[in-house]
Amino acid sequence: MIKEKAEVVIVGGGIVGCSIAYNLAIRGVDVVLFERSYLASGATGRCGGGIRQQWSTEENIRLAMESVKIFEGLEEELDYHIEYYQGGYLVLAHTEDEVKQFKKNVSLQRKLGLNVRFLEADEINDIVPHLDVEAIGAIGATWCPTDGHANPFKTTIAYARAAEKHGAHIYKFTEVKGIKVEKGEIKEVITDKGKTKTKIVVNAAGAYSREIAKMVGVELPNKPYRHEILATEPLKHVLDPMVISFHDNVYFRQTEHGEVVGGWGDPNEPSSYNIESSFHFIVQMSRLLSRYVPKFRHVNIVRQWAGLYDVTPDARPILGPVEEVEGFIQANGFSGHGFMVAPMVAKLIAELIVEGKTSLPIESLNLKRFREGRVIKEASVVG
Amino acid sequence: MDSRIWQHPIIDFGERKGREIYFNFNGKPIKAYEGETIAAALYASGVRVFGRSIRFQRPRGWFCAIGKCSSCLMKVDGIPNVRTCITLVKDGMNVEYQDPRPNLPEKTEFECEHVKVETDIAVIGGGPAGLSAILSLNELGVDSLIIDENPWLGGQLIKQTHKFFGSKASYAGIRGIKIAEILLGELRKENVKSLENSSVIACYREGKGFKITAVKGHSTLYEIDAKGLLVATGAMENMLAFPNNDLPGVCGAGGVQTLMNVYGVKPGENALMVGAGNVGLIVAYQLAQAGVNVKMIVEAAPKIGGYLVHAAKVRRMGIPILTRHSIKAAIGKDHVEGAVITKLDENWNPIEGTEFEVEVDLICLAVGLTPSTEILMQIGCEHAYVPELGGHVAIHDKFLKTTLDNVYLAGDVSGIEEASTAMMEGKIAAATAAIDMGVNVEKAENLRKKSLHELELLRSSPFSKRVITGKEKVYSLMEEISCG
Repeated sequence: MIKEKAEVVIVGGGIVGCSIAYNLAIRGVDVVLFERSYLASGATGRCGGGIRQQWSTEENIRLAMESVKIFEGLEEELDYHIEYYQGGYLVLAHTEDEVKQFKKNVSLQRKLGLNVRFLEADEINDIVPHLDVEAIGAIGATWCPTDGHANPFKTTIAYARAAEKHGAHIYKFTEVKGIKVEKGEIKEVITDKGKTKTKIVVNAAGAYSREIAKMVGVELPNKPYRHEILATEPLKHVLDPMVISFHDNVYFRQTEHGEVVGGWGDPNEPSSYNIESSFHFIVQMSRLLSRYVPKFRHVNIVRQWAGLYDVTPDARPILGPVEEVEGFIQANGFSGHGFMVAPMVAKLIAELIVEGKTSLPIESLNLKRFREGRVIKEASVVG
Repeated sequence: MDSRIWQHPIIDFGERKGREIYFNFNGKPIKAYEGETIAAALYASGVRVFGRSIRFQRPRGWFCAIGKCSSCLMKVDGIPNVRTCITLVKDGMNVEYQDPRPNLPEKTEFECEHVKVETDIAVIGGGPAGLSAILSLNELGVDSLIIDENPWLGGQLIKQTHKFFGSKASYAGIRGIKIAEILLGELRKENVKSLENSSVIACYREGKGFKITAVKGHSTLYEIDAKGLLVATGAMENMLAFPNNDLPGVCGAGGVQTLMNVYGVKPGENALMVGAGNVGLIVAYQLAQAGVNVKMIVEAAPKIGGYLVHAAKVRRMGIPILTRHSIKAAIGKDHVEGAVITKLDENWNPIEGTEFEVEVDLICLAVGLTPSTEILMQIGCEHAYVPELGGHVAIHDKFLKTTLDNVYLAGDVSGIEEASTAMMEGKIAAATAAIDMGVNVEKAENLRKKSLHELELLRSSPFSKRVITGKEKVYSLMEEISCG
């Protein structure tokens, strides 16, 4: 039987849901989390695991920088090995327009205190020796050594275990079927395993957040997009940073185990909930990877899979309350970069629920922005 | 050292061996014969350690011999992670030990041929089930293609030197290797399309059909568009948990069979067989035929699992069969030097004080098989765990249809059984595919009816009770699903 009553119910057992559960639990909140499958079964477990601070908007940079501060101490805080590795992020520029935008980004990022710099083309191989700079047409790059990556499964499990240790109740394979609202206030959450009375629901259901919001009559502008990704056989450590190109819509990094994990975003991908793997992707991605690093040509691919980006019109997350229903808190719309900002987002959402205010302003990320037309698009995304 | 077998009561290996060639192993020249795999040639020249494990650098040796266990990965001509057990050796080849986490291959030149193929039914797996399926499809006039990752078609048949039981229709009284010759002869006569030495690496659903990708060596990518799939991927040998079970010299019984009966290499001097089912009994007998001293067969169950005819043959050769006994540990540093045997009580627990040691350099595990169901899982067929069938199997009906339209299965992948039943299932699945496609329906229906009847006869012995229970479970699950 599931718990009859809770102060807060979280919908979704990905990195966002589990980290919020942990942050609420350590603040003494009685919290319940529902996940319809296993933990990290959605976008979290399918993501590339990158942790980047190089963004183009101030909110995203601040969120990411604060998240990295948390990541740096997370293994100790949660007492779990999450394969956190600060190998940096190398963001490649292929056009003069990109160079101009990247230089602008670097100056904003440096103003906010980030250790980042612009690299000329001939400096790129100092960071990643195997990269064929000429063949990929890179004319510059930005480099932040404190960016990095971690294992998304292990990070989620680490948060979930720590949350449970502090009294959170996490129900896996439990699907939310409805949310009862009376006079604009939440009353209870109905699942396939029973009901839980609550006044606060956090919507952290990733690409399915739109469906959860519909249950209480709230319309979210989020759209799901399939993104595909692959992993190679394990190799000796040869790659420190995450390498990323917005121009080619590609990114790749090496895991602690040794696999190269990389994804390519198909610009023609239609919005849908389809997460089947495609041949088209594996062809494109292997061509791209072997162009980027010629020595990858004889490396075997051992797995491919797909997941959903939960994309908002400005590629920035939706955080905080909504006007229509009291106690219905959004933590979704991460547009492909939820994993890396989750630690700080979770802290802010917990602060919002417990103290009614946040240590970093998140008003500009409220759902209202789309209705009021205050939209500033994030430019640094693999779309 | 050369442990090739030249004298054998059943197989003439001298006739089978190809041209003498030389390849380099860690810089030293090694003799081989064309037609041998790299791993077989290495084993024949005394190499027992094939690789090291990733985490603890423990030695790894010959285990499955059919490309499934990854124990034999080596660097071949500069390319790491090559499965040496299914890669044919070539004159002048450079083979090296590799770091478990290999360096980036230095080689960057890469010539890849991309071949597109279209077919109505793609048969994956060229063992008894797949071969019999493709021949039936061909006979029924269905355009089809068979793909197998081993150097030769025939699956386990090409290593079975014993005569089959069953009915005339299932080649009773004929040795497995002869059955393979008959089927392959027909295949060649009929000009059936086949891709050998080609591993299916993925299956995608595309539109109403499927796209299958297969790679041959490191040089050819096949992109196969098919309307339907007939999966006959067989099974993988089970591992048993005991200390040192990963030592080189601990092998799957099928892996040992491949080594001695396909490549004509003597697998060891003194052997212990674990498991007295049919596989354990037959392979123990074949080991003795190859001149190996089989010290004993241990069986954890209170009774011998295999046919008594096989058990009697083994006993006549003076090999003791110890029931209610099992292996407790393997002894050795870089290779098996012995085994600790223990007696088991009624609850299958070791009885303290009953342990004794046997000196052996080969421990064969014949402790069951698990269906190789990866492709069916990947493509999205619903599965169920059915212990009577050996583990997870794709849910199917008696016509061998899965929960996905135009996806069929046959043989061990549908539940662990025998080569004779696998061949019958191959015919049934092929007939079902033809019926679904509306090709030669009347003839297909007759073939299916006849084969279903034959299958029933093959399963009429008490040995088939377990399989029948498993199959019934699967059929009723299929019924539940198709009724919504």
